[in-house]
Amino acid sequence: MAEMLSFGFIRNAILGSVLVATVGSVIGVFVVLRGLAFAGAGIAHAAFGGVALGFLLGIDPLLSAILFCLGTAGLISLTGTKANLRQDTATGIFFSWTMALGVIFLGLMKRYDTRVYGYLFGNLLGVTKGNIILMAILTLFVIMLVLLFYKEFKLLAFDEEMAQAGGLPTGWLNGLQLGLIALTVVVSIKAVGIILIEALLVIPAATAYQLTNRYGMMFVLSWILSVGASLGGLVLSYLLNLPSGATIVMVAALLFALAAIFSPKRRKCRVCGREA
Amino acid sequence: MGVIEFSGVTVAYQRTIALEEVSFGLEPGEFLGIIGPNGSGKTTLLKTVLGLIKPVKGRVRVLGVEGEKLAQVRHRIGYVPQRKPVDPNFPVSVLDAVLMGTYPALGFMRSPGKKEREKALKVLAAVGLEGSARHIAGHLSGGQQQRFFLARALMPEPEVLLLDEPTAGVDVATRRQIVELVSALHQERNLTTLYVTHDINEVMPCVDRLMLLNRRVQAFGGCADVIRPEVLEKLYGIRVLVLEEENRRYVIVGDQHG
Repeated sequence: MAEMLSFGFIRNAILGSVLVATVGSVIGVFVVLRGLAFAGAGIAHAAFGGVALGFLLGIDPLLSAILFCLGTAGLISLTGTKANLRQDTATGIFFSWTMALGVIFLGLMKRYDTRVYGYLFGNLLGVTKGNIILMAILTLFVIMLVLLFYKEFKLLAFDEEMAQAGGLPTGWLNGLQLGLIALTVVVSIKAVGIILIEALLVIPAATAYQLTNRYGMMFVLSWILSVGASLGGLVLSYLLNLPSGATIVMVAALLFALAAIFSPKRRKCRVCGREA
Repeated sequence: MGVIEFSGVTVAYQRTIALEEVSFGLEPGEFLGIIGPNGSGKTTLLKTVLGLIKPVKGRVRVLGVEGEKLAQVRHRIGYVPQRKPVDPNFPVSVLDAVLMGTYPALGFMRSPGKKEREKALKVLAAVGLEGSARHIAGHLSGGQQQRFFLARALMPEPEVLLLDEPTAGVDVATRRQIVELVSALHQERNLTTLYVTHDINEVMPCVDRLMLLNRRVQAFGGCADVIRPEVLEKLYGIRVLVLEEENRRYVIVGDQHG
């Protein structure tokens, strides 16, 4: 372990994985409770168009990915409300459209750049100090907004109709939540890649959901599980010489399976007889 | 000035007219029962009061404001929506979910404190759910869920209470308890109350006025003016018998008297 920590790139990877685990686990709670998993996947895949555009124009792919992810989040939100479409339909449209744009951008490049693969599947061991600074800033920003709108997001997740009837600006809050998913995707691209981001958005929060009936506790457990899976996966990937992002997802999925099997929610409620 | 004033209100969903030229007014503390067949615009009327649906024609004035400003008074209106199941797995207790009724009035960046928690416990006691405060909200029975929705609607101490079929899908005994509870709360708090129901007999003992709605207002007034066989037969298109006993009217629908 000491040998592992002596490498600068490993220390960067640890910091990076903790940041990704933190932001993903917090936003993941809303993704799971509100059924936004497909929106999360759609926004994550939109990043591919942004990354490809970055390579085509010779600019930082993360910057163009931010624009694509936020733009897609905005379009999903707008199309859902203005065109009276279900959110999953709107997501389906922009998911495929931005992926197609990415393919076109790659086709327009004079020669194929293999670095694109790094963004598709992630490269935690290739995270730089510059990446970590950007990830930390975005993570702090996302967490700050979640804390600011904590109770509004809670009501929105529990009963959107009541939130609207009570006078909350639900359209705006929905858009903000998709925007936060977009920023989470950007934080995570470099570490786990476009394809695997969804796992960190969904699996730790879904695991926490199996273990508690308390809203606040779901955030705490989701974070502990996410950080645990990330660090455990990183160590395993180092020891077994496996790709880090995929190993983290494997550990997270294993934790989910254990939680689902041994969930206290499987036990019957003594009061109402339902599974608690 | 009335608490709720509708004048010539028409509401449409794309090309389908849901409410047409609806005009009525309610004074503070009045209890209005709204009845009408399915698709007659009852829920649309409540949502128009809340400002969730904008009329294509006419004027809606609630608690002294109208138009875009209706959103500003929503936290002064308690709303019990049409029955819908609460997610049984959502990780929130009954007490926490009732506290959510205070969120819009608290405003951004303020969380409910000790005062709100004490109030929530009192409201839960008022609706007979004091023993369920720590249960998972989604684990309540159908009748308990209706009381829970009522408790949440009462949390911001509303001046207006809108109830959309609050007794739908519950047994007869629970139905009676809910109606009596709403009636008692209306009297104690002088709540201006709009109560949508399919069961005319259910609300007749407690309402000040009744509205028969079928896109247009078919009748509006006291029970004696509105509960007449010819009016109800026109509204529902079936035979109706109105019985009167000890100054109370009972409506029997169908061919029982045929």
